[in-house]
Amino acid sequence: MHRRHFLTLSAAGALAAPAALRAQAEEPLQLRRLYTDDRDFSETARSLEGDRVLFEGFMAPPLEANSTFFVLTKMPMSVCPFCETESEWPDDILAVYTKRVYRVAPFNRKIHVRGELELGPYRDPDTGFLSMVRAVNATFDYA
Amino acid sequence: MRQTMTALAALLTGTAAMAQDLPQADNEWFTAAQERLQQELAKAPNTNRATNVILMVADGNGVGSNYITRVFSGQQEGGLGDDYVQYHETFPYLALVKTYNVNAQTPDSAGTGTAMMAGVKTNIGIIGVDSDVVRGDCSTLPGNTVASMNEIAHEMGKATGIVSTARITHATPASAYAKTVDRNFEATVPEGCDTQTDIANQLIEAMESGLIDVAMGGGRRNFVDASMEIEEGTTGRREDGRNLIEEAQAELGAHYAWNQESFEAAPTDGTPILGLFESSHMQYEADRGDEPSLAEMTAKAIETLQASGGENGFFLQVESGRVDHANHAGNAGRMVRDGRAFVEAIRVADEMTDDANTLIVVTADHEHAIGLNGYCGRGSNILGLCAEINNEGVETTGEPILADDGKPYTVVGYLNGASSVLLRQPGGEYFGARPDVTEEEATDIDYVQQALIPRSSETHSAEDVAVYAKGPFAHLYEGTIEQNVIFHVMHHALTAE
Repeated sequence: MHRRHFLTLSAAGALAAPAALRAQAEEPLQLRRLYTDDRDFSETARSLEGDRVLFEGFMAPPLEANSTFFVLTKMPMSVCPFCETESEWPDDILAVYTKRVYRVAPFNRKIHVRGELELGPYRDPDTGFLSMVRAVNATFDYA
Repeated sequence: MRQTMTALAALLTGTAAMAQDLPQADNEWFTAAQERLQQELAKAPNTNRATNVILMVADGNGVGSNYITRVFSGQQEGGLGDDYVQYHETFPYLALVKTYNVNAQTPDSAGTGTAMMAGVKTNIGIIGVDSDVVRGDCSTLPGNTVASMNEIAHEMGKATGIVSTARITHATPASAYAKTVDRNFEATVPEGCDTQTDIANQLIEAMESGLIDVAMGGGRRNFVDASMEIEEGTTGRREDGRNLIEEAQAELGAHYAWNQESFEAAPTDGTPILGLFESSHMQYEADRGDEPSLAEMTAKAIETLQASGGENGFFLQVESGRVDHANHAGNAGRMVRDGRAFVEAIRVADEMTDDANTLIVVTADHEHAIGLNGYCGRGSNILGLCAEINNEGVETTGEPILADDGKPYTVVGYLNGASSVLLRQPGGEYFGARPDVTEEEATDIDYVQQALIPRSSETHSAEDVAVYAKGPFAHLYEGTIEQNVIFHVMHHALTAE
């Protein structure tokens, strides 16, 4: 992604702090590192709870326009999470709540998300989506 | 040309003497090929009647996918990969298989499962019925059902079983016991459909009738009502208030297993076993936690069927169901690991049985839209970047080859799928450029290989698959065959005089 294209995408001010993201050299955390083999939270996840963490993944197509919520997946998925049942959905996902309404990224374009890590069950009041791990007050950028 | 061939045949007669006279006779490739030639000359068909038949299917593991797993396995064991021999590749007989369905150039597992298990090709999406059935129309089922290998073996007094890492109600295992006008009728049938029941119910009925002695896989949710919470915090999918798992335990006396501990506790004295290890599909081998491997399930099934069938023998279908799913995701890293787990199950099955009386058939139901780039040097990581050929040695220089866009590319790619390099633009059009990729990124377990055509899920392809076989009448697998011939050789082996 060229800088020029990114600015076009974020022209509505939907994406916050891209320069700050790009300035970071830290390695993004892979979603699988949030979980153990038994689908429990990993030590890494527990140790980072409450911190602002950088993740990488793909934006699953959101159900609603002008939203502040989307699902980050470790591999690209072209279907929205609400079109499939919970059990069809891959294990390693992250619910992302953005600071502001965002513009949708193509489902097959890798993105970096930075947000405060929250653990524990939470059901989204608008979509009914039950998440176990979230990044809140989040911003994102193309990887 | 004919004269040339005749002369060549004469020259090659008496190969041992010939080999001594040629300047390349000491070349290691030459001597290895001579050894193979002697093995071929020593082959003798086994025409015993088969007591047991084991059909082992890796879903979506066509010739290309099998090749990728072969190289991966070889590289995992420290070699360059190309020359590695997977267990089933030591089997003496082989054919290529045409997999299309009656109404589909590109097949699905329902039509292919029916072809292998009942001896007739049928339409895409339907199971245990012929091509006179209209998909989704229950009124077309009566008079159009076909008998499966399990039913035939059961009639002969044999024990039968099914093992899969997919849902046990999924297309391939369902082809052992179900008659359905739609593969998706796993837990329910549409209102007004009174000619069949759902696939999960058909499995329990098959176990109650004694047709199926062992059934292990995923798909727990299809056996329990939606109002009922079951293991691992999930709920069922049924809409009839029933809990088929409890019914199987209470009325059939089946041992129910849902995790590694209850799997290991399962008796192998012939007691029926119902193993349902996940709500949906079992985990990929790369992610497997508290549940048995395909090889462990295969061993347990064989022990049980040997006890149950006794001298009459058994028929077992084993499916590695998630090679297919990993390919659908464009994730070759998980595909090859499930492929390796399948090979381990083949080894276990062979070691637990006798070639003299057991026909083992190893195949795939279809291939995927998976492909291989070139021109990669020996030792290029099969999941990584295609690297330069070394003209001064054997192993690649390790330098990634760059395409005309100046970027490296992976050895493996997909023709379509969610990992398409084309991105949807705000106006709805798709265009884009290939992302850059490093060796480290490409070899990550979650990496999805670049694809061309954007689709929600990568597709099957109609390319041939192989069938490998050993044991009674395995030599009849030869040439290029229609997929339904697989059934006929198995049936002949069981009934030969």
